[in-house]
Amino acid sequence: MFQDTLIVGAGVSGLCCAGELVRAGRKVVVLERARGIGGRCATRTIQGQAVDFGPMFLHGSGPAFMAALAGLPGDPPLVHWPRKVEGNGPPCQPGALDPSVGRVAYARGLKSFPRHLAQGLEIRLATTVTSLQVVDDGFKVTTAEGAPLRCRDLVLALALEESRQLLATLPASPEVAGIQALLGLFASMPCLTLIAGYPLDGPAPSWELLYPAESEVMQLIAQDSTKRDAPRFRTFVAQARPAWSRRHLETDAEQWAGAMLQEMEALLGPWALQPLWTHAHRWRHARVDAASELTRPVQITFPGGQRLGLAGDVFSRGGGVQAAWLSGSRLAERLMTKECP
Amino acid sequence: MSTMDAKLNALVERDRDHECKGFGPAQVCVRIVAVAKLPSRFGDFRIVAFWNNRDQKDHIAIVHGDVVGAEDVATRMHSECLTGDVIGSLRCDCRDQLETALMKIGSLERGVVLYLRQEGRGIGLANKIRAYALQDQGLDTVEANLALGFRDDERDYAVAAHMLQSLGLASIQLMTNNPSKMDQLRQYGVKITARLPHLLPPNAHNRFYLETKARRSGHFIDFTGTPRLQEQSDPVIVEGMGEEP
Repeated sequence: MFQDTLIVGAGVSGLCCAGELVRAGRKVVVLERARGIGGRCATRTIQGQAVDFGPMFLHGSGPAFMAALAGLPGDPPLVHWPRKVEGNGPPCQPGALDPSVGRVAYARGLKSFPRHLAQGLEIRLATTVTSLQVVDDGFKVTTAEGAPLRCRDLVLALALEESRQLLATLPASPEVAGIQALLGLFASMPCLTLIAGYPLDGPAPSWELLYPAESEVMQLIAQDSTKRDAPRFRTFVAQARPAWSRRHLETDAEQWAGAMLQEMEALLGPWALQPLWTHAHRWRHARVDAASELTRPVQITFPGGQRLGLAGDVFSRGGGVQAAWLSGSRLAERLMTKECP
Repeated sequence: MSTMDAKLNALVERDRDHECKGFGPAQVCVRIVAVAKLPSRFGDFRIVAFWNNRDQKDHIAIVHGDVVGAEDVATRMHSECLTGDVIGSLRCDCRDQLETALMKIGSLERGVVLYLRQEGRGIGLANKIRAYALQDQGLDTVEANLALGFRDDERDYAVAAHMLQSLGLASIQLMTNNPSKMDQLRQYGVKITARLPHLLPPNAHNRFYLETKARRSGHFIDFTGTPRLQEQSDPVIVEGMGEEP
């Protein structure tokens, strides 16, 4: 089956790109390896309660992005979460806590945002792309699950390391080599994440978000349940610093999750060592920071006119979900414009 | 205080509340915020600091002689290049171009160097060095450079035109080897009466321009095999190259 555009990755950049192309009349299919959409803009439901375990809040300064965050039918944004921030450690993205920056969370979880972007799109979940081929009239995309797919334009909307891996399956060409080398100059940072649930009548810190400057382990601890309408548990989400995450990335999850729980005890008190339940998540390519930012999405045109686009948080300034969204939007714009070489 | 200093200081006073709709698509508005003496090895200058409303970068004008209200003021636009200007990098000719401009203007009755804080032509220092890293690997592709942030010089001209207007120059003679620069500035209402070719004196570091015509994709390659980059949107011409525009 032949598509105008195939997009690999149903994260914010891929969904935003897909949406804009579809609104312009293109036929677009999004392929997603996971069983759900949203990528790193992630919320899971644990015993009936939403918990954000990617970013803790969305932040931005561009009017278009802020308008997009505010325009979710049925999901009014909790504007300015977090209000109560403690600790002198840095936020994940510099400037995220500046007074001039808008901050948003959703009572149903941050995944509300990608869920909204995904509406009306054709998305194939649990579909892992394993290799790419340039063919006469476009691309042939091989998946682990079934028959290869074909398209005219192809978009990789993945973490930059994942895009590099897929690009490596293409035959060597100066265009691809240049972009491969470029991406090789950047790197995502990992983030080990621990979710822990406690009884509602247990101790309650006064903050919503803590950035402990003194901890070598922890970048932040969020009191996630303060985002929920009628929480059943007091939930905390702890995210480890990039260097610590890197050191423990390949070790057993039980081991690093245990170490993180102990750090929570050190920071919050002995009660933190007795959660009702925990979940651990390993973000291998959690984010890039301002030191690793390109200014615009990449588009390679092959000699036969086949176009390959790359979007994702590294392909725009400003970091985080806003950068991902902007890169997807700008790539869609580029794909809808006939290029003058 | 000389009349010249009094005139420049009056510009600071004048600009205290300056706010206009700005120049160019980016609506860049600058205002003069401080003036001081700047004696230098290239001559006696005044340095004029401009605040700009777009990117928190303080542009500067390096002024020699009494330029306020003057006609035919020799003017050079120079884009910031930390590696070239400060460290003396031989990947570009920025330092030669800056020094030559300052020396030339220092020897004239009056003149201005606009020093535009557009490191790496707008891409910032880290990404400029990434672009160098790509070139070191022999992978200097257009798309990669665009993604790193190389942009057109549109904003430079808007900033420069506003700076010249703020300084109150009646007309200028533009020191450049790139005639299209004059059209760009004229679009913003700058009156240009002449073009002064910007010729670099030959030295040990730019001798290869005279001795080789080897170019690759628009770049000159020096004796060590390193491409010399044109970071000033102004072709390098060394005296004696025989390609005087």
